[in-house]
Amino acid sequence: MSALRLISNRTSQQALSNSDYTWEYEYYEYGPVSFEGLKAHKYSIVIGFWVGLAVFVIFMFFVLTLLTKTGAPHQENAEPSEKRFRMNSFVADFGRPLESERVFSRQIAEESRSLFHFCINEVEHLDKAKQSQKGPGLESNTHFQEVPRSSSGMFEEDLNCLTKFNIPNFVNTEQNSSLGEDDLLISEPPIILESKSVMQSSHRILD
Amino acid sequence: ENISDFSLNVTDCTQVVVPEEVFFTVAAAGILENLLVLIAVIRNKNLHLPMYFFICSLAISDMLGSLYKTLENIFIILCKMGYLTRRGDFEKKLDDAMDSMFILSLLGSIFSLLAIAADRYITIFYALRYHNIMTLRRALVILAIIWTFCAGSSIAIALFSYEAATVIPFTILFPLMMFFILCLYVHMFLLARSHAKKIASLPTSTVHQRTNMKGAITLTIFLGVFLCCWAPFVLHILLARFCPHNPYCACYMSIFHVNGTLIMCNAIIDPMIFAFRSPELRSTFKKMFCCAR
Repeated sequence: MSALRLISNRTSQQALSNSDYTWEYEYYEYGPVSFEGLKAHKYSIVIGFWVGLAVFVIFMFFVLTLLTKTGAPHQENAEPSEKRFRMNSFVADFGRPLESERVFSRQIAEESRSLFHFCINEVEHLDKAKQSQKGPGLESNTHFQEVPRSSSGMFEEDLNCLTKFNIPNFVNTEQNSSLGEDDLLISEPPIILESKSVMQSSHRILD
Repeated sequence: ENISDFSLNVTDCTQVVVPEEVFFTVAAAGILENLLVLIAVIRNKNLHLPMYFFICSLAISDMLGSLYKTLENIFIILCKMGYLTRRGDFEKKLDDAMDSMFILSLLGSIFSLLAIAADRYITIFYALRYHNIMTLRRALVILAIIWTFCAGSSIAIALFSYEAATVIPFTILFPLMMFFILCLYVHMFLLARSHAKKIASLPTSTVHQRTNMKGAITLTIFLGVFLCCWAPFVLHILLARFCPHNPYCACYMSIFHVNGTLIMCNAIIDPMIFAFRSPELRSTFKKMFCCAR
């Protein structure tokens, strides 16, 4: 900014700075700065500022990692079911932009169905697959509260049931594996919780 | 000639100079990268979504910041070469316009980050109603309001920059926004972590702490980059306003060009941590470059 350039030029010993010396506003008439009798190092503000900034960022990082390790027990019982449903994908996907819009991407539906790796999905979709075979579409997500406690390794066979399963409009899809993208911060593959029919209907509604 | 008028010590803080080649390279890289993001979002219909519009808004404000620095350097070079008069009215108006462009870029960055954080927050906490709350039209209206406000404030601040009253709100806005964004993300993070703990209690769960550690790393990167790139300049403005005669302040202000380069580095880093993390956007890039070959 112009006024600030004037100030910075005043302390400069470059001959070049004289060219824009008078380009600035005249009311910034600062006198020469005397550097005599400094008690501390002359760059003390610079050093202090950057050290303080680094300390703050590191402190913030440690606070966040501490949040990882310690608990906030009051939150454990107060979550509504929809948040729990959402958190399935958020846990593995915190760092990325939340791909809620994937609901509208028709061409990735087929890919997403084959991207089932996450164990939580494995557990929950067993439950969903069983329920979808009974026929009802999902008007409410109340049955997501029932997380099955037993797991089996049969979820791959139930993947096809997902196509018939109607789930709430918010889903998260990660198809980085299918697209060959592997540069996420997260090592575990995220959860795919969508069905093609839901995506198509939502797309039609919102278009 | 004028230098002898200053009673400068031998231990004076000389202006730290960033070579012009470095300056222009960094600026050009920032502008190109953000332009690519914009083009990719415009060309791919799948990316016409509120989230990507907010990322585009961030890209535009980053581009404006880099553009400002480039233009400023060009004008200084033109002044040195004598093509521009020093006290001309036109130059002063140009200078005002460029200052307001810079403030517009800063305010636009802050509000875009806020919009991105709020969008993610709504995505998490109002998941089922997200598509009713954040429609495309609303996102565009929000962006229009943000940019109108930023444009108005930037013009006002540039016109009244000599008043202390404009500097103080400007510098208070910066940490306030940072704090608000941090709170939004921490709330999301807490929810994710508590849910991860529930998942970890399942018998077959293999989730371990590394997932949440990476969330902490990502969030620290988001806010740390913004803070490290913009805070030096904001401090410069504060010091220039309140203690220009102090030798310590003057020494800090001598690294003005480095602070400006940091802002342009922010323009380069921001697309990497926001836009390029989306697989859809990356695949659009690949298609664009593959077709160009």
